[in-house]
Amino acid sequence: MSHSFVRVVSLVCLLTAGVASAATKPAKPAPPARVPGLEQVQSTTLANGMKVIVWTDRDIPNVALYNWVRVGSRNEVPGITGLAHFFEHMMFNGTSKRAPGEFDRIMEAQGGANNAYTSDDVTVYQDWIPRSALDLVFDLEADRLANLAFDAKVIESERGVVYSERRLRNEDSNEGMLFEQVQATAFVAHPYQFPTIGWPADIQGWKIEDLQNFFKTHYAPNNCTLLLVGDITAEEGFAFAKKYLEPIPKQAPPPPVRTTEPEQMGEKRVRVERESQTPLLYIAYKSPAANDPQGPAINLLLSVLTEGNSSRLHRLLVEEKKIAIDVSAHFMEGFDPGLTWVMLTLPEGADIPAVEAALDAALADVVAMGVTDAELARAKNLNASTFWKQLATINGKAGLLGAHEVFEGDYKKLFDSPATYDKVSRDDLQKAAALVFRNERRTVGVLTSPPVKEPAATEAPASAEVKK
Amino acid sequence: MNRFTTLLGALVLGVSLATAGMAVDKVPATAGPGVKVPANQRFTLPNGLTIILVPKKDVPLIAFAGYVRGGALADPAGKPGVASLVAGLLDRGAGKRNAYQFADAVEGVGGSFNANATSESITLNGQFLARDRTLMIELVADALVRPIFDAAEFESYRNREIEFIKSAKDSDPSQIVAIYGRAALFGAHPYGRPQSGSERSLASITRADVADYHARNFGADRAALVFAGDLDPKWMKTALTAAFGSWGKAQAPLPKLERAPRVTGRRVLLVDSPGAVQTYFWIANVGVDRRYSGRPALDLVNTLYGGRFTSILNTELRIKSGLSYGASSSFARGTVPGAFAIRSFTQTDNTAKALDLTLETLENLKRGALEPAMLESVRAYVLGQYPLQLETAAHWAGTLSDLEFYGLGKDYIEGYGPAIATVDLAETAAVTADAFPRPVDLVIVLIGDAAKIREAAQKYGTVTEMKISDTDFSPGK
Repeated sequence: MSHSFVRVVSLVCLLTAGVASAATKPAKPAPPARVPGLEQVQSTTLANGMKVIVWTDRDIPNVALYNWVRVGSRNEVPGITGLAHFFEHMMFNGTSKRAPGEFDRIMEAQGGANNAYTSDDVTVYQDWIPRSALDLVFDLEADRLANLAFDAKVIESERGVVYSERRLRNEDSNEGMLFEQVQATAFVAHPYQFPTIGWPADIQGWKIEDLQNFFKTHYAPNNCTLLLVGDITAEEGFAFAKKYLEPIPKQAPPPPVRTTEPEQMGEKRVRVERESQTPLLYIAYKSPAANDPQGPAINLLLSVLTEGNSSRLHRLLVEEKKIAIDVSAHFMEGFDPGLTWVMLTLPEGADIPAVEAALDAALADVVAMGVTDAELARAKNLNASTFWKQLATINGKAGLLGAHEVFEGDYKKLFDSPATYDKVSRDDLQKAAALVFRNERRTVGVLTSPPVKEPAATEAPASAEVKK
Repeated sequence: MNRFTTLLGALVLGVSLATAGMAVDKVPATAGPGVKVPANQRFTLPNGLTIILVPKKDVPLIAFAGYVRGGALADPAGKPGVASLVAGLLDRGAGKRNAYQFADAVEGVGGSFNANATSESITLNGQFLARDRTLMIELVADALVRPIFDAAEFESYRNREIEFIKSAKDSDPSQIVAIYGRAALFGAHPYGRPQSGSERSLASITRADVADYHARNFGADRAALVFAGDLDPKWMKTALTAAFGSWGKAQAPLPKLERAPRVTGRRVLLVDSPGAVQTYFWIANVGVDRRYSGRPALDLVNTLYGGRFTSILNTELRIKSGLSYGASSSFARGTVPGAFAIRSFTQTDNTAKALDLTLETLENLKRGALEPAMLESVRAYVLGQYPLQLETAAHWAGTLSDLEFYGLGKDYIEGYGPAIATVDLAETAAVTADAFPRPVDLVIVLIGDAAKIREAAQKYGTVTEMKISDTDFSPGK
C-alpha cells in the first residue's frame, strides 16, 4: 500500500496513446518452467495434528522457521478487535519457564533473528537462524506454544507499543486512515470489517482474560503449520519437531467463523476529512476467497491494470490524463470472500468525481472488451519473474510454501503455480473483471481536507473515533 | 501489522554487517564455512567502464546493479533533485523507444529496471529472465547512454515528483524526518541536499538542467555495472563490450567531496505538523566514513545500541517502557563521514520523556563499558545473520557494485568474519568514544504538533521552527 516518494520500484511510462498502441507488440509468455525442488520437500503430521514441512536448501548455512497459525483479526468480535495482533506481540513476552524478553535475548545471542505478522486471516511467526541454533530455537518455539504466560505489567507496556504502531500506521497516515475506514464500511457482518491493528478503545481495553481465552482457543498445535526451509534435512526437522512440539497436547479445533457476509445490495460511500495535500480515492470491490479457482485470473487482471508503468490504469490515469499520481491494486486473498482494492493517490486540487468517472470507464471497458494478448502475456511474465525472485531465498520459499499450504490446502500447489498461471486465458480475465468490478458490490472511499472553515471555527481532529 | 518493520528496515539500511567466519572459541560455531565472494570476472573497457560478471545459477534470472558517480553531489547549486529527475527519466524514453515503449519492453518480458539518485551516485538495479539477456543489455545501454529526456515526459514526471513529496508528508512522517534531519545536520554540504529534491527546488528545475546534467556527469569513466545470475561470462563480455564500447567519458570533473565537520552543541529543528498524534524524531551528528578502520567493532556496538530487537534503544523505548513501536540507530558511511542517527517516535504527550530516555541511553553508552556477555551475544548475532544478506544473485550484484564504488576488495566481505570474531572490549570502547557523538553535541529534528511540544523542545537546545507544508526541507533564511 505504500507508494510514497521513497519508492523502491520506479519504472517507466508512456508518451501518447497513439504511439502506445503502435508499440504494443505481440509478446509471448515464457513457457512455464518446471519448478525444481518438489523432491527436496517432505512433510509429516505430528500426533497432535501439527503439520511439519521441510524444504532442504543448502545455499547458506541458515534456516527459516515459520509457524503459520490459522488465526487473525477475522477471529475477533467487537470489544476485542486487534487482539490477534496484540497476542502476536505477547508471544514474545514470557512463559512460565522464561521471563519476558528472554525469547529474543536467547535467540539473538545464538545468532538468530525473528519477526511476526498478523493479517485478517493468519498470524505468522518467523525465525531466521544459523543452523547451529536449531535445537535451541525449537525449544523456544515449543515453550511459548505450551507455556505462554501473561505478566500484567508487560501487558500494559505492550499495549503502549501497539498503540504507537497504530498511531504510526493509521492515525498519522492518511493512507492508513482511509484504508481502515473503507474496510470497516465494506462489511456489515463479517469480521473482515475489523482493522487488524484494532480500534483504539479495544487497544486500551483488552484484559488478561481475553489473552488467556484467545490462547486456549486458537493456539492449538493442530491449528499451526510449521515450515522449515534451508540448511536442514527432513529427518532433522521431523526429529526436532517430534522431540519439542509433539508433546504439546492436541486440542479441540477452534470454532469456525460462522458469519458470512450477506450480499451487498448497492454501492457504499465513505468520506474521511483530514488535513491533506494529496487526496486519496480507494475503491474496494467484494471478491472471492483465496482458494477460488478464479484467483489466478484476478491476480493477472490486476497486473494488467496496475503493475508497472506500461499497465493500463497507470498509462491512462497517471500518464495520459494526469489525474492521479499513483494507482495500485490488491486482491485480498483470505479464507473467506474479501475485497479487491483499487487505490489512487491524486494530485493536490484534483477533481475527484472526474477521476472516479475516468476510472469507472476504464474498468467498464475491461469488463466489456477484456484484455489484449500482449497484456496477458506481460502479466504472465511479470508473475513468473516475481515467482522466481521469491524462490531465490529461503525466506521467499517459506512464505510461498506456507501460503499454498494454508490457503489452498496443499503446499505442492506451489510447484504447479507456473502451469496454473500459464493456463489462464483472456476469457478468464474478462470473466474475472465481470465478477469483481460491480458497482453495486463496492465501497468507495475518499479522503480530502475538511471544508474551509469560518475564521472563528476551531480545529478539531478529523476522525471522531480517534481519541487519546 | 509487522512486529518490527521499522527496526528491521533500519538494520538493513544501516551498517553492513559482518560475515560468517571463523569459529573462535567464544563464538558459537554458527555460520559454517563463512561467506565467500562467488567467483567473478572483472574487466575495464578502454573507455573506463568497469564490468563485473558473476555466474550463479539457482534460478533462471540475471540481476544487475551498477552506478554512475555523481548523484546529489553533482546537482547544480540551489537545485537539489536534478540528479534524481535524471535517474527517474533514464527509462522514460531512451534509444529508439519512447517512454511507453521502453516500459512495455521491460515489463512485457517480466523484467525490471530501477534507477535512483543517492548522495554520491545514481544507482541502477533490475532483473530479467535469463532468456532475455540481449534485450536487457540493449535497454540498460540505451537508458545510460541514450536517454531522450522528452520535454513532455520531463514536465509530467517532475510535476508528479512534487506531488509525491506532498503525499509522503500526508502519510509517512517517520520516513521523511531523515530528509529534514540531513539538511539540518549537513547544511550546505552535499550530504545535506534532499536527494529527491524539495517541492520548491523541483519546481525550479528545467529540462535543460536535466539534459545538461546527463551530458556533463554521465560517462563510462564514472560507471560500473555488475551482472549476476544465470549467465555465460563469455557471451556477456562480448555483448557488453559491443553495447558499451563506444560510450564516451563524462565531460565535467567529478565534484570534490569534503568532510563535513561534526556539530558541537545542540540544535533543534521543530517541524510543525498540526494534528499529528505522535512526535517523530531523528537525533544525529556526523559519524564515520566507509573506510573507517574500526568498522567491525563499530558494527558490533551499533547493533548492540540500536541495530537489533533487543538493542539498548529498543529495550528502553519499546520493551521496557512501551513508549514507542520501535527505536533504532544507524551509521551512513559514505566516501566521507555521513550521519550517525537515532530514530524513533512517541505519542505527543510523551515527547520529552522519550527524548530524555534516548539521550540517557547515549550518555550511558558513552560512559559505560560493555559487558563481555553483551559483546558475545552481538558477535553471534552479526555472524549468524550475515549469510541471509548475501543469498541471491541480486544481493551479490548490489554488494559487488558497492565494493567497486568505494574501491574495496573482496576482503571487505571475506576478511570481515575473522575481524568480527576477534573484536575485543578495548576496540569497542575505542569506537564508542570515537564514532558516537556526545549527548551535548547533537542535531535534533522533531516532526510533531508544535503547539503541544514547542515548550518541551526548548529544553534540548536552540529551537528553529518550520511548517511541514513549507516547500523546502530546511527553514527559510
